[in-house]
Amino acid sequence: MAQGKIVAGFVAPHPPHLVYAENPPQNEPKAEGGWEPLRWAYEKARKSIEELKPDVLLVHSPHWMTLVGHHFLGVPRLSGKSVDPIFPNLFRYDFDMAVDVDLAEACCAEAQGLGLTAKMMRNPNFRVDYGTITTLHMIRPQWDIPVVGISANNSPYYLNIDEGTAQMETLGEATRRAIEKSGKRAVLLASNTFSHYHFHEEPDTPEDMSKEHPQNYHGYKWDMRMIELMRKGQIREVMRLFPEWVEEAFAEVKSGAFPWMVSAMGYPDVPAELHGYGTVIGTGNAVMEWRLAA
Amino acid sequence: MAIVSAFLMPGNPLPFLQRGNPPWGAIAAGADRAAAALAASKPDVLLIYSTQWIAVLDELWQTRPHSTGLHVDENWYEYGDLTMNVRADVDLAKACIAAASAAGIRSKAVDYDQFPIDSGTIVANGFLNPDASIPAVIAANNLYHDFAGTEHLGRIAAEQAALQGKRAAVIAVGGLSASYFDHDINIAEDRIFDDAADSANRALLDAMTQGSDALQAALPDFNCATKGDMGMKHLGWVLGATGGFTGATVHSYGPTYGAGAAVVEFHL
Repeated sequence: MAQGKIVAGFVAPHPPHLVYAENPPQNEPKAEGGWEPLRWAYEKARKSIEELKPDVLLVHSPHWMTLVGHHFLGVPRLSGKSVDPIFPNLFRYDFDMAVDVDLAEACCAEAQGLGLTAKMMRNPNFRVDYGTITTLHMIRPQWDIPVVGISANNSPYYLNIDEGTAQMETLGEATRRAIEKSGKRAVLLASNTFSHYHFHEEPDTPEDMSKEHPQNYHGYKWDMRMIELMRKGQIREVMRLFPEWVEEAFAEVKSGAFPWMVSAMGYPDVPAELHGYGTVIGTGNAVMEWRLAA
Repeated sequence: MAIVSAFLMPGNPLPFLQRGNPPWGAIAAGADRAAAALAASKPDVLLIYSTQWIAVLDELWQTRPHSTGLHVDENWYEYGDLTMNVRADVDLAKACIAAASAAGIRSKAVDYDQFPIDSGTIVANGFLNPDASIPAVIAANNLYHDFAGTEHLGRIAAEQAALQGKRAAVIAVGGLSASYFDHDINIAEDRIFDDAADSANRALLDAMTQGSDALQAALPDFNCATKGDMGMKHLGWVLGATGGFTGATVHSYGPTYGAGAAVVEFHL
């Protein structure tokens, strides 16, 4: 068996507004559009997935937050209706996903081997979080590639940013080891917004783009600074600044998906491609790709 | 005020799902006593605030007439499924939405099939109102509301219940100290995370037994001594809705994977 590899990693944020605005048949609410630049960014990412032909998509979502360890979806097929508890007016989505349980178990075992608390989620009635679903829909709406779903352990908030980030980087190392042993071509998805300052009231028409702009200029400037570093391939500098970015931009990357992904990719010095950037209720969202293999 | 009873209930589902485990069974036994007290107060409606129903845009209020279905907690899924069986007092919830909006707290109704009502609300309702015969007004925990703002919300809910001539029971769903064990433990030996948290919890519960003034005086020390659940805003809901209480009975107190949990009946 050939050694498996991570063929690409994406920052793939999960505002449910993007699914809502696209009007896919799975989602009950209907929109007049909105957030087009971000949705066009995802169109580019979808083309990349088409070219890469991965065997599996691995997604780390901040909206499956777990207290005791790092959890992995461990049921072969999960389906149901996901109603977003925060934006139920926008996201009521019928999902049906195939889970790569073998790879999930391998990631879990590797994580345990590296000293992390890690668990398999075996409850067939489990309702997958909207962050996981949104990211997967936006990156591959056909739902024809098996998935490994990973929770966001609460350690960056419960312990401190350094300890929490270290755990996520260890989880990334475990993920890479499991992928290499699997023989599979894998794509990693960090389901994170960048600056997470947002408005506290929703416009009467959520997709009214005349109301959409960065909520916080300082957060926006941080996002641009970090994106520029990523575009230059300076991921080590990004990680050196990571705690400051999290603190000053209230960045959602704190929840762990980003350090998990860059650690799994071995802190690549290849320039990232920015597919697009835009705000959703004032938060900063970038769709970015690190292409590691053809 | 039309408030006929008031309770603090834990939101962690472990005592509900696994009452056979002694540390959690003791908490559940206290919840049974609270259920009897609630029934004796003969409420027309429950006014529920749960720290686990998170909102970030606007204040959300449940208006689905009858919410049913299975709910699996994202953390404690291995201990079993929860059954949603929650009825809303739609008229009163809509009155709360209007009153809160008029008071400058932008509010919205939530009426969606399969909306994931939070574990805390399901568990508290399951303990106190298992057949869902008493309808409820359920308010979300907007992360950007502070303690005083939550008191205000509680006051609005109670005022609206009074205007409709309804006997209301106030249910605050949340924990005490929030520090928990972040690794696997022997659940039969569950305990409060550390002595500091245990002492802080006991001091806060003691203050509750002395009345609302004592509770308010004790909260700053509690918040210094330990990290409380969501800034203890659920107690703001109790204070606002009841307008104060004279004492309390602590029906049970114990750990939920290290975090503090208690069932308390407030005396009005």
